[in-house]
Amino acid sequence: MSSFIQILIGGLLQGGVFAAVALGFSLVYRVTGVINLSQGAFCVLGAMAMYYFEVAFHWPTALAAVLSVLSVAAFGVAVGAATFVPAVARLPVSSTLVLTAGLLTFFEGVALIVWGNQPYALPPFSGQAPVAVGPLRIPTQGLWLAGGIAAMIAALWLLVNRTALGRALQACADNAMAARLMGIDTRRMMLLSFTLAAAIGATSGLLVAPITSLQFDSGGFFTTSGFIAVAIGGMGSFAGSIVGGLVLGIAEQFAAYYVSSLFANTLALLLLMFMLLWRPQGLFASGPVRRLDVRADSLVHRALVRLSGRRALAVGVTLLIVLVAIPQLPLPNDVLSSLTISLILFIAVLGLDVLMGWTGQVSLGQAGFMAVGGYAAAILSTTYEWPPLAGVLAAMAISVVCALALSMVTGRLRGHYLALATLTFGLLIDSLTVGLVDLTGGPSGLVGIPSFAVGAFEFDTTERMFYLALGLSAVLVLLLEGGMRSQFGRALQAVRSDQLAAAALGVNVGWIKVSALCISAALASLAGSLYAFNFHFLSPEMVATPRSFEMIAMLVLGGEGTLLGGLFGALVLTLLPTLVQSLALYKTATTGALLVATFLFMPEGLFGRFAIWLSRLGGAGRTRSSGAAIETTAQ
Amino acid sequence: MLEVRKLSAGYGNDIVLRDVDLTVAPGEIVALIGANGAGKSTLVKCLSGLLPPRGGTITLDGERIDGLSARACVLRGVCLVPEGRQTFGGLTIDANLRLGAYVHSQLDEASVQNLIDESCRPFPALLPRRDEPCANLSGGQQQMLAVARGLMSKPKALMLDEPSLGLAPALVSEIFRLIADLRGRGLAILLSEQNARQSLAISDRAYVIENGRIVACGTSKDILASSDVAEKYLGVGHKIGDPKSAKQTIMTARLRKIMGVP
Repeated sequence: MSSFIQILIGGLLQGGVFAAVALGFSLVYRVTGVINLSQGAFCVLGAMAMYYFEVAFHWPTALAAVLSVLSVAAFGVAVGAATFVPAVARLPVSSTLVLTAGLLTFFEGVALIVWGNQPYALPPFSGQAPVAVGPLRIPTQGLWLAGGIAAMIAALWLLVNRTALGRALQACADNAMAARLMGIDTRRMMLLSFTLAAAIGATSGLLVAPITSLQFDSGGFFTTSGFIAVAIGGMGSFAGSIVGGLVLGIAEQFAAYYVSSLFANTLALLLLMFMLLWRPQGLFASGPVRRLDVRADSLVHRALVRLSGRRALAVGVTLLIVLVAIPQLPLPNDVLSSLTISLILFIAVLGLDVLMGWTGQVSLGQAGFMAVGGYAAAILSTTYEWPPLAGVLAAMAISVVCALALSMVTGRLRGHYLALATLTFGLLIDSLTVGLVDLTGGPSGLVGIPSFAVGAFEFDTTERMFYLALGLSAVLVLLLEGGMRSQFGRALQAVRSDQLAAAALGVNVGWIKVSALCISAALASLAGSLYAFNFHFLSPEMVATPRSFEMIAMLVLGGEGTLLGGLFGALVLTLLPTLVQSLALYKTATTGALLVATFLFMPEGLFGRFAIWLSRLGGAGRTRSSGAAIETTAQ
Repeated sequence: MLEVRKLSAGYGNDIVLRDVDLTVAPGEIVALIGANGAGKSTLVKCLSGLLPPRGGTITLDGERIDGLSARACVLRGVCLVPEGRQTFGGLTIDANLRLGAYVHSQLDEASVQNLIDESCRPFPALLPRRDEPCANLSGGQQQMLAVARGLMSKPKALMLDEPSLGLAPALVSEIFRLIADLRGRGLAILLSEQNARQSLAISDRAYVIENGRIVACGTSKDILASSDVAEKYLGVGHKIGDPKSAKQTIMTARLRKIMGVP
């Protein structure tokens, strides 16, 4: 019995932190309509600031805590004003969602540069000795945590419900245009909500750091847990965030104790999947109703840039010749192998482009399909000694089945919820690859994967793998290029612009979305298999959720809806750290920063920019349509 | 006095308004009539600071207000009651009204109460329901709330964009009657409407806007009498006295009676 209560207390404490992160989510969502995926990173930044003020500078705990929260809030103001607020004002909601994923990656990268990859623990505020209540032992830091979070909840409730400022925040959430007419500075309100959420995150981070040690990438854990909490409770509902957080914390603690700590996360994610199926609006539905079916929303849609006819052919042939010639040049071996990796990742990014760029369905779980493909092919060819080719094809079939199963959940979901369901899928696969030790080798990975082979021909050198990846991606680009020019491709784009209008024209929207997801999953699976065969090794973190974010960054950096663009994104993000070894430490921060900056300053991407430049170069004096076709949809 | 001189405005590459001149004096109701897409909403957006103009000037009592933010416009006393009501559906009626006085943050509670009473005087139905969510109100009541909320900002110039939009015919007359009652407050009222007949009936002067240009202005009586306007905006026959068109007028009147249109 006492162990039951002990676990319950542990669950409540953990749940309190999740609730605080969920509150930050809800606050920003209510005011801006965007789920800020960088929310969890503020916990780590808060703990990091606290570490410097308290442990390194030896300042008193109270002073250090106040300064930490203030400095993270100041950082939040700067980042929010430079990136988040302009993005909310300019970009479609789904792009802003992806941009916040970029911010999360950026913050993790910053923490990695400043803090290194060691876990850090802070000293408890008032000694190590726990308080004994009867047979129970409660760490004093737990009381600090519970009290601090309760105080924050109360303060936030008072602010929102009892002050003119809170009324203005609610007005922005309800009707931003009318709020402007009332003389409310809506941008300032967005910034305020972002900053408040940052302060809430920092406070909960420095309160929890003495209990759980944190490291640079703990932000992702807090974001996903807080997000699961808010999805269970109801997006935008403060009460729902708190209840969701506590339910999740308790469920995870009990699962860890009675089932297995490796599966604690899996159960939470299954719970979330169930919630998304049963009641996508959460337990406490609240907040303004928003139209979620249009990726473009009311904002100006990003232009789709495409090279036409002869130019595309010229660019494609030139590119192919250059790539075919590359292995014959005297290059260091690691350059060739990272080119191979770029090409393999490019195949997965191609799938993502079909889904995100052309059909407008945001997927945050692409790496999940890579994992399915990689592990299925690797296990089939290692344990069951299938020929690698059969393994790859079977893995693709399994991935498509997974995609179909996921569509059963996502079929009813739109906009944010769809993006979040794919994120949940990715996280679920992450936790399974770690948890199913007998099958996947668990955290230490799967070793002894053979080389890819077709019949007796083995792709056992870097050069052969390079040509394999190049050949496959060239064929796929050609196939998709044709496919996107067909009636099917037009239907994808119609769904991207306006699902309602597409349905009115007789496009079977559900079927189109499922097909796009299946194509995307199959390509990710193929890439995952090749990845495993290339390294002869596969571990969970090689195909975990941060990889999904990285592939989105590759796609956006290269140019969405351009097919070829992803190659440039993959090359930049894979090749640069190889060429300049000293950059490797900065890779995570750079990936995040590039994603954010591309969205804000070059939404058409590298390849899109190149296409526009090329068409201007040759098309001076002629109309635009003769060069790059620039389509803008919506208003 | 709200004065607009040589105003031009647009979105992206499209110029929507060209050289618009318009004045509204305190205590008068000025109607701005025009078809869908003529530029009425663009004009009120410029006046309320939602859209920066491309050229020309807007002054309130001699002070330039063009290019200012929406907040600055509200602070100086120009307030827009937007098209489609745009009340805060999830908030209470009381919160909606208080948000109307958001820029007057220095007011104490007693003054806010006075202001609420004062603003709701024309709309007594709102007061007893103050703590209900505004989404509970009918369309007509929400329009009244939107006007009351606009009055809460203590405006010198009040602009009403399509207040009759989407309302039942009986409510349309009610709304116009209430707007006519606002005349006694000494406000400069600009009424942008597609319902030309009723807005001309309650206004002192009127401007007719077509393709982003003011094509006619004068007293409402003159505009109402002008056959050009009658033909285009009032839906009456081509030539008065023409037997065929007289028949048409009678038919129209009958049809209106059946449909309940006044």
